[in-house]
Amino acid sequence: MTSVATAAPAATAAATTERTTRAGRSVRTTLFYLLLVVIALIFITPYLFSVFAAFKPLNSILAQSPWRPPTPPTLDNFKTIFTQYDFGRYLANTLIVTVILTAGQVTFSMMGAYAFARMSFPGRDPLFWLYLTTLMVPNIVTLVPLYVLFAHSHLLNTYWAIFLPYVLGVPYSVFLMRQYFMTIPKEVMEAARLDGCSESRILWRIVVPISRPIIITATLLAFVFGWNNFMWPLIVTNSNSLNVLTVGIANFNSNFGVQWNLVLAGSLVALVPMVILFAIFQKHIVNSISLSGINR
Amino acid sequence: MIIGAALMLLSGCAGWGFSSPGGGKTVTLTYALWDPHEQVGYQQSINEFEKLHPDIKVDIENIPYGSYEQKITAEFITGGAPDLFWVNTPWLGTFIKDGILTDLTPLIKASHVDMSQYYPQLVAMHSRNGKIYGLPKDWDTIALYYNKAYLNKLHLTVPDNLSWNADGTGSFVTFLKEATTDTSGHNALSPQFNPSKIATYALAVNNDPQGGWGNYVAEVGGKVIPYPYASYASLTTPQMNVGMSFLAKTLTDAHVIVPGTLSGPNANGANLQQMFSQGQVAMWEQGDWNTLSVKSSVTFPVGVATLPIGPNGRVSVFNGLIDGLNSHTRYPRQAWELEQWLGSPRSQAILGSGGYVWPAIKSLDPLFLQYWKKQGIDMSAFLTEAHGQVVNFPVSPGIGDALTEIVNDLGPAWLGTEPVSTALQTAQNDANYILRTS
Amino acid sequence: MSVATAVTTLPKQRKTTAAENTAEERQARRTAFAFLAPSLVGVVLFLLIPIIMVVGLSLVQWNMITPMKWVGLSNYVNIFEFDGFGHSLLVTGYYVLLNIPLQTAFALGMAMLLRSKRAGSAVVRIICVLPYLATPVAMGVVWNWFFNPSTGIINQALSHIGITGPAWLSNVVTAMPVIAFVNIWQYVGYNMLFFLAGLQAIPPTLYEASSLDGATKVQQFWRVTLPLLRPTLLFVLVTGVIGSFQVFDTVYVMTAGGPGNATNVASLNIYNTAFSGFRIGEASAMSVVLFLVILAITIAQFRYFNKRTTYEIA
Repeated sequence: MTSVATAAPAATAAATTERTTRAGRSVRTTLFYLLLVVIALIFITPYLFSVFAAFKPLNSILAQSPWRPPTPPTLDNFKTIFTQYDFGRYLANTLIVTVILTAGQVTFSMMGAYAFARMSFPGRDPLFWLYLTTLMVPNIVTLVPLYVLFAHSHLLNTYWAIFLPYVLGVPYSVFLMRQYFMTIPKEVMEAARLDGCSESRILWRIVVPISRPIIITATLLAFVFGWNNFMWPLIVTNSNSLNVLTVGIANFNSNFGVQWNLVLAGSLVALVPMVILFAIFQKHIVNSISLSGINR
Repeated sequence: MIIGAALMLLSGCAGWGFSSPGGGKTVTLTYALWDPHEQVGYQQSINEFEKLHPDIKVDIENIPYGSYEQKITAEFITGGAPDLFWVNTPWLGTFIKDGILTDLTPLIKASHVDMSQYYPQLVAMHSRNGKIYGLPKDWDTIALYYNKAYLNKLHLTVPDNLSWNADGTGSFVTFLKEATTDTSGHNALSPQFNPSKIATYALAVNNDPQGGWGNYVAEVGGKVIPYPYASYASLTTPQMNVGMSFLAKTLTDAHVIVPGTLSGPNANGANLQQMFSQGQVAMWEQGDWNTLSVKSSVTFPVGVATLPIGPNGRVSVFNGLIDGLNSHTRYPRQAWELEQWLGSPRSQAILGSGGYVWPAIKSLDPLFLQYWKKQGIDMSAFLTEAHGQVVNFPVSPGIGDALTEIVNDLGPAWLGTEPVSTALQTAQNDANYILRTS
Repeated sequence: MSVATAVTTLPKQRKTTAAENTAEERQARRTAFAFLAPSLVGVVLFLLIPIIMVVGLSLVQWNMITPMKWVGLSNYVNIFEFDGFGHSLLVTGYYVLLNIPLQTAFALGMAMLLRSKRAGSAVVRIICVLPYLATPVAMGVVWNWFFNPSTGIINQALSHIGITGPAWLSNVVTAMPVIAFVNIWQYVGYNMLFFLAGLQAIPPTLYEASSLDGATKVQQFWRVTLPLLRPTLLFVLVTGVIGSFQVFDTVYVMTAGGPGNATNVASLNIYNTAFSGFRIGEASAMSVVLFLVILAITIAQFRYFNKRTTYEIA
């Protein structure tokens, strides 16, 4: 069923529909934009308050309503976190470990996902369920034995310790990409195998290009996870020179006086790279090659 | 850009586990703490120490308070704990019992450290069975920070000897009523007072064994645990009931105290700093470690008043930190040098005169007082209480966890959804289980 | 998982000899394991071994410092009798029921709305995901401001129309719904991403064909979109339920388990037992019980979806 055959009747049908609902169209457009504005407001308003607070001194944050814009805005909080607290180094640390973590995690998870989705080998399904069940154990307590393992391997207080548990691929990513790969028709792989392609080539030359939405998604997820990870980096690093952003921000609090101004300034700085990254890549999740182009 | 990235990577070389070859005989000690403000003062003290001991370097490590005990414990079991670290009383009993802290008694004898220079209650707090586990270095009491501007507007000054009785009468309650105003300006003594439209509460006390109800139950003779290192709690005594009910029932019903629903989750007081800054609380009961936060978060002049006098007198909860000496330290001699320094008058003078903490050495207290007088806050109320009746923060293995449970279980009483006696019974059961199994 | 197996036919193959088959098969198996090797190593080293250790730890009493003491299954009894874990499970279940259906529905709705190419859609897509990109601590702070009984914006707005708002986080009835609301706000954009990707895989020709047959938009949604979204839906629901049962950050920052124990969810209880009480044995037992609960529900979810998923694209 190609689109050509359906084009002619579709064109007339479309013409009629268009004439009769031109008014309906503008109502729909208005509704659409109204919904867009409401949604945007719901999601951005809380942010706005935390952004305001990042530019206020502490006594203004506490004494005024949070929705009063800073008058006048001050850059002191940012100055403090970069000079008194070494925030620049925390940024660098987080960048290093997150990039490594993401590159490894996406690549190796993708390979595993492909194996589970489109290769056959004994024990495939039980092994996949094993991956899934590891997601179901709360990782709070597994941190303790993991910490002991790392300590005995003398890996504590290094960059390795921060990204190693995640860099070889994680079940979550494998699950995500496997679902997507399973909607790619088997014939595609079979045809390529008959042509003599190795599995590697099939994966990298055929599957990856048509799986861009999910791979981008998996990359973003991995990056955000690494960037915002807190408990593990906290217990696994000692020296403050290895702090990542989340740990650094937690350090702004003394026991009995939360320095909200610094916490929110730091959180804002941590957020900006994430937003930029996401803004660049999000269109790949929406615009992609539709799989229906492959003949059935 | 590439050069910048390369430099960044190289500078993190140590992060990859490549350790630089150590120099001569210099020893580097690690010293852990949690407060970034006090850290400034400690760094100054450490700088002096390093000048006096050229063969010892000290690295300060800041661990956020919320994860402090866990991190030190985790590091200890893998042999990487700091050589010296702050120890707070909630986990003091546990650390002593588990052998994490070094018994300093022989070292103190050998170095002839004068223990009489410290507050005797602090020495007692950190001793067990004749052994002492740290040199006291600071102390805290609890008092009432008050909004001078607000009280001036009402033409009120805080009288010196306010008192309360177990039946809810007394000059304290009367004063609180004078100082509570509704949105139309009527105070709580006036017949036109509208309790559903209160603008400012006279008093804020939170659900906390140190900065909150702990003082009031102590003023009636109640105790969380009957004696140090007890393995059960004493929360269901009549005295505990009286003290707790005075706050959660009497004062709450009189509308002069911030209700539990406004003060924070389980009435823990998380919202009180903001309420105080916005002028919704006249007197905020807290410990003196909050002075810097109070100062930097408010725009009005602040005074400090002593706690009211209860049936057993005026009593404040008393607490102080020590620097624990890691029992597995690789450098016991150098670590003891640092411990001695931090317990010495010279170091404590630096910290006191910079307004960071009240020094544990009694004679140095005026330094702290003078610093804050220059900043415009009179801290003498805290000192008066330290020289009066104090009750030590409870010490026992597992008491930190037990107190968290107790506070949670008392929440409903402060929120008014459960009678005080029921909440105390639940708290007692939970605390007993924890203390018994810790 | 046979859910997403597409119905396909294989092209005709020439018959192979037994020797070629085995060699081919062996080669295929080697390649498969080569592909699996990195993630398998990761799973075994960093997930499986610690999990096995946790199961072992659930049978001892240990505070991390003093030697372990064997206690058999008594931890499993104690967590229900003394640590209120039964209550925690109930409260967590309540939270999952409040959270998952609404969040999934909103995520799907937003994905359908925002996949549009109209100007502004891209910006709003980014805005929706902002809550997920930020650290939970910062967001918890902001929401505490919103829900503050006296100075919070919500109660102030309500008072303008004459209603005295409740003490949201201190009231047993409202505390958990508020937590669920904040979590929905935080993760609906994130789940929307999966639906956006999943919607991409549906051939537009199906919509054209069905509209020619006279199908309304509503009918198209139920007959075309939803069935073909089932693999994505399964993923979102399974990971959503698993994640919700482990909710921690929001509760930790906003209510600390209060009022009383009304929001003392399972993960918070485990965290406090392990890192405040240093009762590693009991915390491990709690983790094992929670795991079994999540496993049972996940299996049920898969069974439900297996029965109903069709993949034939007629």
